[in-house]
Amino acid sequence: MNAARLVVALVLALLPLLTPTYAQHVAIVVLINAAYTVGVYFMLRMGYLTLGHAGYIALGAYTAALVSTRLGWSPWIGIALAPLVAGAAGWGLGSLTMRLRGIYFSLSVFAFGEIVNATFRAVPALGGPAGVAGLPRPAFAGIALESHLAYYYLVLAAALACGTFLYRLQGTRFGFALLTLRTADEERLAQSIGIDTPRYKAWAFAACCAAAGLMGAVHAHYLRFVGPSIFTFLYSTDLVVFAMVGGLGSFAGPLIGAAVLTALGEQLFSVGYYKSLVYAVILIAIILALPGGLLSLPQRLRRAR
Amino acid sequence: MTAALLAQGLVIGLVNGILYVLVALGLTLIYGIVHIVNFAHGEVYMLGAMGIYVLHVAAGWPLPLAMAAVLAASWAAGVAVERAFFRPLRGQWLQLVVASVGISLIAQSLSWVIFGAQEKYVPSYLPGVVQAFGVRIQLERLLAAGVALALVAGLYALVHRTRLGMAMRAIEEDEETARMLGVDSDRVASTTVGLGFLLAALGGALVAPIYSINPGMGLETILMSFIIVIIGGLGSITGTVLAGLLIGILQSIGALAFGAEAATILVFGAMIVVLILRPQGLMGRA
Repeated sequence: MNAARLVVALVLALLPLLTPTYAQHVAIVVLINAAYTVGVYFMLRMGYLTLGHAGYIALGAYTAALVSTRLGWSPWIGIALAPLVAGAAGWGLGSLTMRLRGIYFSLSVFAFGEIVNATFRAVPALGGPAGVAGLPRPAFAGIALESHLAYYYLVLAAALACGTFLYRLQGTRFGFALLTLRTADEERLAQSIGIDTPRYKAWAFAACCAAAGLMGAVHAHYLRFVGPSIFTFLYSTDLVVFAMVGGLGSFAGPLIGAAVLTALGEQLFSVGYYKSLVYAVILIAIILALPGGLLSLPQRLRRAR
Repeated sequence: MTAALLAQGLVIGLVNGILYVLVALGLTLIYGIVHIVNFAHGEVYMLGAMGIYVLHVAAGWPLPLAMAAVLAASWAAGVAVERAFFRPLRGQWLQLVVASVGISLIAQSLSWVIFGAQEKYVPSYLPGVVQAFGVRIQLERLLAAGVALALVAGLYALVHRTRLGMAMRAIEEDEETARMLGVDSDRVASTTVGLGFLLAALGGALVAPIYSINPGMGLETILMSFIIVIIGGLGSITGTVLAGLLIGILQSIGALAFGAEAATILVFGAMIVVLILRPQGLMGRA
């Protein structure tokens, strides 16, 4: 296992040095999506479906955009503020809905994602329909991260930060408590031994949203642009598709799902509608035929033999 | 805002509200029986409107025939979706909801591919405007609201006065016991999903001449329907009706006062207020 980890680390660190710019772009998008998907996966493991994650990503991205273009501050300040803004918003909606059945959470988060988008579209000071353009790339040790290669390492660092944070969180007492919340019976049991489960769930959601906000800010500086056409419902559903297709069995699932489908999407389809059509067909096929996701494929093949 | 403008907003809001109710009621009914919130509901609404355009406008079928075909097709689609997706996944709510999202994505992206992004228009079913007490309203909207109102009343009677309705309520209360007492819950489930799809498609067909039609129109409707079932309380028919009318009025008066997008934000604000003060919804059970 450790050897495998070393190989993955070496590939992530060195591969972009050897590949053309376009492949570097794909690698960046894969990492960004993987970081988002890990947050969606974290909630799914608890039995909570977030269908408005793009709303929290947008909060982070717009924070970065407004801080660096309107206020003229260093991009690093925006990148530091973004997870706070997105996390606070997640905590707010989480504390309101986590006392109710899971479906209320899903519906509210969906509505939140749509409203965030509608707000950014409606308010001219926040960019309006055209969005905010002209974001600078941050500079590190005096070097502006202008090339794809240089920016790749920033994205890698942010993705590792999000992934490690949520992975480590799973291993804490807090994380174990969260895993008891998957069914109503287990949740009642947890409450009976004194765990304030709604509060735990709200903080867990805040953590996932903070990760989304951080990556959203890094994402925005990569695109040098934010706009309401990016952070749509379709983006939120893509992330759910990645997580479900990868499989909910372990942390590798969302990473595999995000990597495979993002790379596929970037390679094969230039028209968005075809992409979501193919994603949706794959999603349905996986749900009906391979409930454990791609993660369970090797095991399934072994059993079939 | 003048009194006349306020009255205008109120009437338009009531009309829009009852149409929202028609769509949201299907959601609530399906939730009660199959225990999922059907994310594909907005797409059924969109396809109802699109179906009228394709059959009535593009293919030139007479309106009643087109309407009947759309309703029959939506019913059949509901029954098929229940058989193919909801039944095999029963009891796994996460997979169920995600499957309905998948169905919605397939329906919407196929519609963009087939029908394109160009707005489509259906000529008026009933041209003309009525005017009373300084309020002007298209006959069309009144017709749509009248049909919707009659259907909502009919649905209420169906759920509370018929054998099917009794079976639905029994399953909602306790499915296992209902099955033991001889209720065919599979049949009730497919009937309910068929009925929900039919109501959503009818909603779309009724508004086809009022709004322009495009494959993205389902998203706004589903957003409003979700907010309505949250405010009204999932599973409650009375709550859905109440919340639908409330949201219709709030949105239309908000739009007159602050503009359409601000009105959407206002509606979301109302949802947050309800979640804070009465989380289970106006009529929901805790």
